[in-house]
Amino acid sequence: MAEDLIRMEHISKFYGRVQALEDVNLRVTGSEIVGLLGDNGAGKSTLIKVLSGAVPATGGDIYVRGRKVQIRSTTDAIAQGIETIYQDSALVTQLSIARNLFLGREPIKGPRILNRMDHALMEQVARDLLKKVGIGKDIPPATPIGSLSGGERQAVAIARAMHFDSDLIILDEPTNNLGVAETQGVLRFVRNARDSGHSCIFIAHNIHHVFQVVDRIVVMRRGRIVADDIDPKRTSVAEVEAVITGE
Amino acid sequence: MEQRSLIQRAIARPEFGPLVLLVVELFGFWAINPDFLSGQNISNTLAFTVELGLIALSMTLLMTSGEFDLSVGSLFGFSPVLMWTLFNAGLTSLEAAFAVAMAVAALIGLVNGWFVTRLKIPSFLVTLGMLLVVRGTALFVTDGFPQRTWSAGGHWLAQALVGDFYVGGFRIYMSLFWFIGAAIALNYVLTETKAGNWILATGGNAGAARARGVNVDRTKVALFVLSSLMASLAGVISSIRTSAANPNSGTGYELEVIAMVVIGGTALTGGRGTIIGTVLGIFILRVMRNGIVLIGVPGLAYNIFIGAIILGMMALHSWLERRHQAGT
Repeated sequence: MAEDLIRMEHISKFYGRVQALEDVNLRVTGSEIVGLLGDNGAGKSTLIKVLSGAVPATGGDIYVRGRKVQIRSTTDAIAQGIETIYQDSALVTQLSIARNLFLGREPIKGPRILNRMDHALMEQVARDLLKKVGIGKDIPPATPIGSLSGGERQAVAIARAMHFDSDLIILDEPTNNLGVAETQGVLRFVRNARDSGHSCIFIAHNIHHVFQVVDRIVVMRRGRIVADDIDPKRTSVAEVEAVITGE
Repeated sequence: MEQRSLIQRAIARPEFGPLVLLVVELFGFWAINPDFLSGQNISNTLAFTVELGLIALSMTLLMTSGEFDLSVGSLFGFSPVLMWTLFNAGLTSLEAAFAVAMAVAALIGLVNGWFVTRLKIPSFLVTLGMLLVVRGTALFVTDGFPQRTWSAGGHWLAQALVGDFYVGGFRIYMSLFWFIGAAIALNYVLTETKAGNWILATGGNAGAARARGVNVDRTKVALFVLSSLMASLAGVISSIRTSAANPNSGTGYELEVIAMVVIGGTALTGGRGTIIGTVLGIFILRVMRNGIVLIGVPGLAYNIFIGAIILGMMALHSWLERRHQAGT
């Protein structure tokens, strides 16, 4: 068995006196797509926020490649190779594709004091990446995100995570509000990401989308993990639904 | 998309509308009164235009990052008062007084930025409060009387900031070169640099920018400091040129400057900004003020035209924006 990429141990989280997470253990191995399922309020989002640095855990440890790490901010998480893609919120709509791809990590050309971005490099990388994730035959890298469709935006966000060698890409409801063809596109990007060595945590309400793409399903209920080794190839949708609702 | 002609692409740029308006203005006023383009009128207009322009340039960056600064007009009045009070009292040399005034301005910008980023108070309220504090301080320390500045004549600092010389019939002040330099530098910052990308992203989607490791708060604080510094520099330049540091000068400039910036095509809500547009916006408003008087419209009617231009340009920008969104 492959070494664990991410291991979360005994994670708990309180919001005031409300316990959102209770003794949660989660592991993700290399090149694995884990589907995280659960009803509203089951704790999926909180768990993901802890892992991506958006909120601190109240207790528990996080290990990346066997090393214990402290994740206090999204910047920390990115530095550990953990990239989170939220529906729509991860991109600046007014900026071009190329500027979004490199936001926060812009390549500098010439003397540092002049702080000048390497536009040519950015556009070249953007063009290559768009081709790699399967869009972009006719979308110039200078196009603002605002004029892309929802699926294309997801693709740009995924392309960005792939380019910066994120080991783990967390997709929070990536197929919400997308059309059928665009959903297929996003699922394809996710498979591409795995095939090129990235791991994913895939959160979606639509169990059918999860079934199409993940290697393993983890189910949460009331702040706990109630099943963490469901094989989508040997389990039916109805069985998973039963685990989610606890009936 | 690539096949579009040069003209079509020029028209699609946000600066196109302001450019047309400026050209129409220039021709209109010139046709009615040829004196409008006389050397003397041009140099008179330029002298004051660049002083307001310096403030508008830094305001462009600040507004692109999603904030604005109402305290610039009061700093325009306060900083020269502080500088000349120190100098006239014999406390410091002129250089030291200038440095102190700038340092105090930077501190005021820092406080503005701190209130906005740390205490999460909207910049409208923070800088409105700062406007009153700064203006009040200027009035209090001077008892409302102007400070004399004529003793600056010939001092190298005064020469460097607003020394004048003649080229043909034109009287040119050094401040024009400061304005041109600042416009080029800030345009470079906004369009070419990593800092510019951060400014745009901060105003466009602060949450997404922060998630990518952009230091949103520091970006905003730096721009508040820049805004205060530029307003003070403009005030000092103006005080030397007019030989008076009046604690009341700069009243109402904040709104005129913001009008210049939005007429040029910078979004009030942030995320989109253009220095070239702002330069056009600066000239649109100043040429209007000057031209209206020259063609015989009563000066008191000036605000009617300014208001109409602002409304018209806003309508044009929003129409272009919607057409752009629908077209792609």
